[in-house]
Amino acid sequence: MTDRPDDPAPRRPGPVVIELDEAPGTGPDTAPPVPEPDQPATAMARLATAGAPAPGGSGWRWLFWAAGAALGFVLSVAAVSFVTGLLAANPVLGWVATVLFAALVLAALTVAAREWAAFLRLGRVEALRDRAAAAAAAADLPAARATVADLRRLYAGREDMRWPIARLDERLAEVMDADAALALAEDTLMTGPDEAARREIEAAARSVAAATALVPLALADVAVALAANLRMIRRIATIYGGRSGTLGSLRLLRRVFGHLLATGALAVTDDLISSVAGGGLVSKLSRRFGEGVVNGALTARVGIAAIEVCRPLPFAALPRPRIHAILGRALTGLFGDRPDP
Amino acid sequence: MRLQELAQDVAHGVESRLATLSEAVFDPVIRLGVTGLARAGKTVFITSLVSNLLDRGRMPQLRAAAEGRIEAAWLQPQPDVTVPRFDYEAHRAALLGDDPRWPDSTRAISELRLSLRLRPSGLLGGLRGPRRLHLDIVDYPGEWLGDLALMDRSYQDWAEDRLTRLAARPEGAAFAAMARAEDASAALDENRARALHDAYVATLVALRGAGLSEVTPGRFLMPGELAGSPALTFAPLPRPASPGRGSLWREMERRFEAYKARVVRPFFRDHFARIDRQVVLVDALGAIHAGPAAVEDLRLAMAGVLSAFRPGRNGFLPELLRGRRVGRILFAATRADHLHHSQHARLAAILTALLRDAKDRADYAGAGTAAMAIASLRATTEAEATHQGRTVQGVRGTLLATGRPALMYPGDLPEDPARLLAPAREGAERWLDADYSVMAFAPARMQLSPGEGLPHIRLDRAAEFLLGDALR
Repeated sequence: MTDRPDDPAPRRPGPVVIELDEAPGTGPDTAPPVPEPDQPATAMARLATAGAPAPGGSGWRWLFWAAGAALGFVLSVAAVSFVTGLLAANPVLGWVATVLFAALVLAALTVAAREWAAFLRLGRVEALRDRAAAAAAAADLPAARATVADLRRLYAGREDMRWPIARLDERLAEVMDADAALALAEDTLMTGPDEAARREIEAAARSVAAATALVPLALADVAVALAANLRMIRRIATIYGGRSGTLGSLRLLRRVFGHLLATGALAVTDDLISSVAGGGLVSKLSRRFGEGVVNGALTARVGIAAIEVCRPLPFAALPRPRIHAILGRALTGLFGDRPDP
Repeated sequence: MRLQELAQDVAHGVESRLATLSEAVFDPVIRLGVTGLARAGKTVFITSLVSNLLDRGRMPQLRAAAEGRIEAAWLQPQPDVTVPRFDYEAHRAALLGDDPRWPDSTRAISELRLSLRLRPSGLLGGLRGPRRLHLDIVDYPGEWLGDLALMDRSYQDWAEDRLTRLAARPEGAAFAAMARAEDASAALDENRARALHDAYVATLVALRGAGLSEVTPGRFLMPGELAGSPALTFAPLPRPASPGRGSLWREMERRFEAYKARVVRPFFRDHFARIDRQVVLVDALGAIHAGPAAVEDLRLAMAGVLSAFRPGRNGFLPELLRGRRVGRILFAATRADHLHHSQHARLAAILTALLRDAKDRADYAGAGTAAMAIASLRATTEAEATHQGRTVQGVRGTLLATGRPALMYPGDLPEDPARLLAPAREGAERWLDADYSVMAFAPARMQLSPGEGLPHIRLDRAAEFLLGDALR
């Protein structure tokens, strides 16, 4: 066979073996899997992107932001020109106005700082929960210990936590597993707050149920329910993570209802339905009493969602509170005579 | 002999079914089988478990204890009238004394019963009132355990296997040559039999000294009250071409069978056939320290022992019909306190790989299995030190050999157990790419607060796995 360099068809490549001086850095045990072409993304990847907002949908947010900034600018310019005008016209009144405005700005800054701190605290609690879950999943003891130490710091100043923290300090060094360290922290530190939060929910459910059943005005019971729910969420946040500011409460409310939406269907099939159906006899007797039971159950559901949002550790060692039990305790004596479980 | 054995087994089976029935109706009893070869730490495990169940301050991972559902625990006089009681107080005193020491090696069988009074939980909890649960635990010399593997073997098979493996060891080559040279078809001479037996026992002692675990028959090392009887006076011999009646080989075979029927089988039947929770204690660290041969030997010995047990799922009806099975098996690598906690997971992985066959069999039969690294009695604290320019994470304690405080780093256990088990299976002389050296620590002098049991590592987790569902 003759070699024809002018042949347009290229030669097929021949075999090649190149001997290397050193061993490869990664072996077949750690190399990434061979990519499969033309495969759709995995189910998990599709699921992860399913809930993400559609791209380009943030125009409204920019509009609100710009409007707020413009309005703030107008207000501050108006205030400045008002004070300078007044200073020119009447120095005494002008100084009074200056002092008043300074006090206003100072107060606004203080409130903003406190709200900011509350926001940070909420974020820290959320981060703690994520870190705890990650440490338990990865069985990473140093990470778990660091999480527990941060949790301990969160509660260090509280009088009611002194005894649980002392107990935690006594035992933590003996535990050699990540999940065990977290379970120990949950067991010692969370028992008290869980109990307090449960009592808050019971009180709120009770007052909502009573208001629905007894207040004769059409919209008054709605107002009572709203107020009771807000107060409950705020108190639960205080129990678990310290004070939360006003804006913090709003953000909390948003998260609680987001959580409710995300888990709602699940929870209804879980045990809400039995509570609602369990009010059967009461609702036969009176429509309003039946509504009271349903509203109480919904309040309890909101309260449990608030616990799940505010609790710095996920439920692992301790049992998750159940609507049925909470409702049973909350409504005992209100609508019927049930023995204390 | 076969017929007699069968009759005994049937009678025993009927008895145990009756016991099962009465337990189902009255107080439940859990029999915890503590399985471990010699020096695996059975006695310390039992002592520490009992101590920590009596004083539950250090058991946060045992849910029933953490939730305060164990109202009281009481060390009962045990129900089996012919077996001595486990001397819990003496062992605890040895560990807690002014000059703390490990308990002496166990020379005879003993048993104890711990009764727990439990506050009920659940829907009908209020109606039932507190219930009781009895926990029966047996302690015995670990040397006897290897005998369980003998139950299914013939003398010829066993003797061939022993002689082949002895010939490969420096400690056993002399006896293997002596046995091969023996004229086993000659008539029995008691003096000769005794000489062979003594030589074999000396070999076994040497093997055990080298850290090997497969030293059958175990009663040769721990004879108990049977010392000197014919059932304990035999040795492995190769089968001659035509062993006549009354020949040395035939007599040895007869004694071997008698040993199986009169010693091994009753031991198994009385103490292991009815257990429903099992903890398998393995001193994997010690074997790794002793070298590849000891690891492979440990693997074979444990595989033989564990094949004697019947794992499976228990239920009310199946239990009555086919007897009780071992419902949960915990494979525990002991002496985890000789390692920094960052290596515990690797030790557990090595143990799992070591006992892979038994674990798979139990999983397949429906029993629950788990593997963890535990320390029944924690003798060390963790410490870091800088050695030759690098930071090592080790443990600090008092060395058993010298009585001096020391910090030890035993070596980096591999993440993949095959790095240890593959060379061991292929008969490597020593570890290729790493050195391991584990010094034994003496128990530390301790000051226990009220309500606290002996310090441990993960004993509460082990107890939760073994007993947690029964305490619920």
